[in-house]
Amino acid sequence: MSRLFKIIMISTISTNAFFMVLWTDYKTRYNLFRLFEVSELIFVSIYSSEFCMKLYVDPINYWKDGYNLLDVIIIIIIFIPYSLRKIKGKHYPYLNIADGVQSLRILKLITYSRGIRTLITAVGQTAYTVASVLILLFVLMYIFAVLGFCLFGVPERADLNNWGNLALAFFTLFSLATVDGWTDLQQQLDARNFILSRSFTIIFILLASFVFLSMFVGVMIIHTEDSVKKLERELMLERHMTRMEEKHVILKRQQEEVSKLMQTQKNVDHKSFTELVEKFKKTLRHTDPMVLDDFGTSLPFIDVYLSTLDNQDATIYKLQELYYEIVHVLSLMLEDLPQKKQSQSLEKVEEK
Amino acid sequence: MATYHSVGHVQLPRADAIRSRLIDTFSLLEHLHGLSQAVPRHTIREILDPSCQKKLMLGDQHQLVRFSIKPRHVERITHAQRLMSTLQVRCSKSPPLSLWAGWVLECPLFRNFIIFLIFLNTIVLMVEIELLESSNTQLWPLKLTLEVAAWFILLVFILEILLMWLSSFFLFWKNAWNVFDFVVTILSLIPEVVVLVGVTSHSVWLQLLRICRVLRSLKLFARFHQVRVIILALVRALKSMTFLLMLLLIFFYIFAVAGVYFFENYTRSTRQDLEYHMFFSDLLNSVVTVFILFTMDHWYALLQDTWKVPEVSRTFSSIYVILWLLLGSIIFRNIIVAMMVTNFQNIRNELNEEMAHLEVQHKADIFKQQIIQRRQNLIPEAQRSSISKMDARDANQQGDSLDLTEASKEESKHSATKESSRASKSKTKKSLSKMKKSASSSSSSSSSSYCSSSSGSRYYDPIGQLDWETHVHQNLPGLMDMDQDERVVWPRDSLFRYFELLEKLQYNLEERKRLQEFAGDAGLIPGRGAKIPHAMGQQPMRCNY
Repeated sequence: MSRLFKIIMISTISTNAFFMVLWTDYKTRYNLFRLFEVSELIFVSIYSSEFCMKLYVDPINYWKDGYNLLDVIIIIIIFIPYSLRKIKGKHYPYLNIADGVQSLRILKLITYSRGIRTLITAVGQTAYTVASVLILLFVLMYIFAVLGFCLFGVPERADLNNWGNLALAFFTLFSLATVDGWTDLQQQLDARNFILSRSFTIIFILLASFVFLSMFVGVMIIHTEDSVKKLERELMLERHMTRMEEKHVILKRQQEEVSKLMQTQKNVDHKSFTELVEKFKKTLRHTDPMVLDDFGTSLPFIDVYLSTLDNQDATIYKLQELYYEIVHVLSLMLEDLPQKKQSQSLEKVEEK
Repeated sequence: MATYHSVGHVQLPRADAIRSRLIDTFSLLEHLHGLSQAVPRHTIREILDPSCQKKLMLGDQHQLVRFSIKPRHVERITHAQRLMSTLQVRCSKSPPLSLWAGWVLECPLFRNFIIFLIFLNTIVLMVEIELLESSNTQLWPLKLTLEVAAWFILLVFILEILLMWLSSFFLFWKNAWNVFDFVVTILSLIPEVVVLVGVTSHSVWLQLLRICRVLRSLKLFARFHQVRVIILALVRALKSMTFLLMLLLIFFYIFAVAGVYFFENYTRSTRQDLEYHMFFSDLLNSVVTVFILFTMDHWYALLQDTWKVPEVSRTFSSIYVILWLLLGSIIFRNIIVAMMVTNFQNIRNELNEEMAHLEVQHKADIFKQQIIQRRQNLIPEAQRSSISKMDARDANQQGDSLDLTEASKEESKHSATKESSRASKSKTKKSLSKMKKSASSSSSSSSSSYCSSSSGSRYYDPIGQLDWETHVHQNLPGLMDMDQDERVVWPRDSLFRYFELLEKLQYNLEERKRLQEFAGDAGLIPGRGAKIPHAMGQQPMRCNY
């Protein structure tokens, strides 16, 4: 994926999107028809050639990447209007739907923008929770739809407009869940004097709108936090590892150089490291200051290290004392024992 | 690697690390390679000494000289300080105007005056609007005073901007708040100028005038620190959400264009009772409709309206609306909320870093106090000349802290862990022996136990319930992160000697450890690798200790 290729693709897709915008207007479509036809041909050819190139490069792994599948779907979508026009003729009622779906072409842009891709991966991890919450909501709506249909859609003085069949009931319930214009619906139910209508509506609004949709927000917040934190942690770890490796490399190189130096010097003079730097030490003056902000040469470190060493010495000293104590006690015990044994053996001898 | 040590020399990674630190600090490699050009061999004092100087000048004249740097507290250098050190200012007879302008702007009196004027502006505007409608001629002087006050305030704001320009023109544009001030002032200036020039008949300009005067109250936002913090947090949160907003725009585009096509029949229909007829007629209207659906306002009414036209397929239109509602207003809005919450948390944490930093420093200070206390407690026990060490420490007292190389960090951690393993063993043995001692009745043991328990209490009191090693471990990161401003000044030869001695210390410690192991093997110290019968067999000999 060279930069030139990316730039070409991004500009193509953007021009395509722009042309689609222009095409919606009937007048411009009328005037610039030829231009649109030609540009449409160009775009379709560019997309199909991109598809063929990518497929040629890597036939098997091509299908594993999600964005490539998206490209394939969009190419199929592009070819739908042609095929529909050919097969079903020019006045097929669903033709405008096929034209409308062309607007999905702009989704190809996502492949070329890294920021949106990371965003989608981060958001996509919340997809499972989103799906489960939606399914729960659907189940709840199903229960209430059937209930509502039986209560308000079947009897004689029914409100057929809103509760006539199951689909209408679903729509009404969705309208209640998004609390948009629900007072009108409630008024219609009130006009027909249904007994349970108010409690039904209120219970459903509480459950769906307040509980479910807020739960949605909460679940998404938690998952977004988790995924963002995970990403950050991975980034920090990576950086840490690279830094450690670099430090290792530098240390190794330094030690190798010193050893090499030692080798050469050894062959000549049989000096050790200290003798080698004797001369250097002579040049050091007491009055020259060296400013360091190293932890190893700072005073807290010296304090901690020395006190730890002191601690170690103290514990070893105490340990030795304890051992001597143990030995002393054991020796005292042993002094008692042989005497008993001697007396016992003496008794045995006497018995014998 | 071990070739440059004598035979039988054990390779200690800690000692190697210390040596490499030594080599690094003194740039010994360049020195030993004979690259005298890289390393300065002489100091300023040598150069200033006449006798030395002559010798040096006769020799190689291209030698490097080391300057002695004394650490100084580096604060923020203000623009005024920088200006004062430029040659122009130092050589001129009178201080430049920009310095005076800067001083005036920083002066608290001036700042409070500006804040007061902003408040006054708001009040004046409020009163003026109320009086606009009434045509009471008695209120004419009041109106005049209000107008004069408004003009005066405008002039003072312009003056303030001129002062800021005088102080430093280029820095003015770098600060976003100043640019905002500038824009607001210009916006409120233009209508006034236009009105003055004579286009008074257009009421539109008068209205614009009022509006722009209101904007001046927004200048208040820049003055108060809390408001600034909140606005900064908001801007940062928005910045991190750019990609989300881009994705949202893409979806807006998709649904707007699709909407135009899907509802073509609805737009072209000739029925008269369609309320939302023009909602999908054009791309612009379609975008507005998509936004209306995004806010979930009257979506069901719109949907039912589209169903009135028979050519519009019900399935596709309902799929469109429901899909957009789910995707846009439910999912997207909640994603935005979630991102804002996480961003605000992050921003708040970052803004609190200052507080956390101070806390960590405080803890590190307490830790240092405990170290010193502990060293003092250990003097009679360890019988060490720590007093001399403390004197040396006072002589070198010039503040302390750090930034750590990974090697020495690992060193100290390793030393701490080694000590912890040894000391934990010793501690368990100590507790067991304490129990034994309570059973036995030898006077010497009781006295020694008393000693150890008293010293133990002295150890553990300052640190609470923790043992030394865990305490060190917990506080080590805090110690390492302490203030970056403090550094240690070492005399050069002392530093060299320090590194040498530290390295030697490692070898000595290793040797002592091995000696103790040998002693344990030889049976001098029972329980240290010795078998018990051995120990028992040699009891009579050891009684003589």
